Amino acid sequence: MAGELLQTSTSTREADARVAVDVRALQAAGRLDAARERYGELVGRYQRRGLRIAFHYLRNTADADEAVQDAFIKAYTHLGTFREELPFEVWLTRILINGCLDRLKARRRRERWIAPPAVDADGVERDPAEYIASRGPSPEDHVLAEERRRQVATALAQLPERQRMVFVLSHFEGRTSREVSAMTGLNESTVRVHLFRAIRRLRGLLAVRSGRKTGSVGRSHRAAR
Amino acid sequence: MRLVDWMMRRGHVSETELVKALLTGDQPRHLDRCDLCADRAAELGRWLDEVKAVADAEVDAAFPSERLAAQQAQIMRRLEQADEPARVLEFPRQSARVARETHGRRVAPAWVGVAAAAGLVVGVISGQMTARHEQTATTAPPIAAIDLASTPAPAATPATPASLSGARPEGPSLLDMDLEAYTPDTLRVFDEATPRLIASSYTTVARR
Repeated sequence: MAGELLQTSTSTREADARVAVDVRALQAAGRLDAARERYGELVGRYQRRGLRIAFHYLRNTADADEAVQDAFIKAYTHLGTFREELPFEVWLTRILINGCLDRLKARRRRERWIAPPAVDADGVERDPAEYIASRGPSPEDHVLAEERRRQVATALAQLPERQRMVFVLSHFEGRTSREVSAMTGLNESTVRVHLFRAIRRLRGLLAVRSGRKTGSVGRSHRAAR
Repeated sequence: MRLVDWMMRRGHVSETELVKALLTGDQPRHLDRCDLCADRAAELGRWLDEVKAVADAEVDAAFPSERLAAQQAQIMRRLEQADEPARVLEFPRQSARVARETHGRRVAPAWVGVAAAAGLVVGVISGQMTARHEQTATTAPPIAAIDLASTPAPAATPATPASLSGARPEGPSLLDMDLEAYTPDTLRVFDEATPRLIASSYTTVARR
């Protein structure tokens, strides 16, 4: 299984590198339409993953949307600096994370002077589109799922930036410590420490929240201790 | 078995060890022997899976497939713009310079101001002089009028209650006058000096 995964990962990596090299060659040859079309493959492949990372980092749909767009544009325009020995995904993620960091800095500067946007009870800015009723689960299920989602989102938002990023990349994206290290520029052992701390803190936060809800501390919290 | 686990947790593995075991797949031997720690590991695994599922659901809800498609289209549009940078249109400074060069001589702006001020002063002075000249012309009565108006004009009487009540003013009233036959004295001289064309034309027609 692991070997299969490794093989898939390697083949994907090689395919990405091939596409990147092709796009670069097409750009150099002046065949820009063809270059864009080929690059569209990479966009389709990593768009959702990039959005997931950006959204967990920025906690805002519009910001995440723009950050991902900017990352893809930047990667396309700077494809000449891409080295094949590094996976394209890692390179792209690093660009994306740097963009997210810049956006967070800009947001903090902005919030220093301007009143923050309307947020819900958990301090998370909500997209009006989220309020539109949709087909799917029953209203009760929807409310419960929404509540659980909000709890997890709030707990994630309370993590320090580095811990959150490491947790998202390691657990949500299934990256190894080495890959996370390459993406974030952190030491590998530092990545592991951040990951353990993030999990411990998240468990504590979620246990406290569910304990507040049910009036008792959950089993997971006792186990954590 | 780490010493600290043996001393502090009665031999059970720590949370950190469990996390490491789950993430790296390196399972400690203790988990094979201890049901409690195996349960803890399983519970931690379930919890991590649940958090991942919830977080993924949140992202999926925030970014449905329509939004992803729209974003991809937007990215491709922006890439197209990046490939074809916008042309910088030249400001019409150059054409203005060419026009100026072809025009030849150029008047200094200071002289335009001086000329405008001088024109204003000349205009004001000539205006004053014309006004004065007209004033003197209107105050002096014409000689012909003095000759013709031998009879003094009746003094304008203010509309007193007496005049309004029925006292008639001096001179003929408009109601009493035969307007066809009436000719003012001042115009009679001109009337007599004017050849009577209509009368002469009538006489020529009558002769024929």
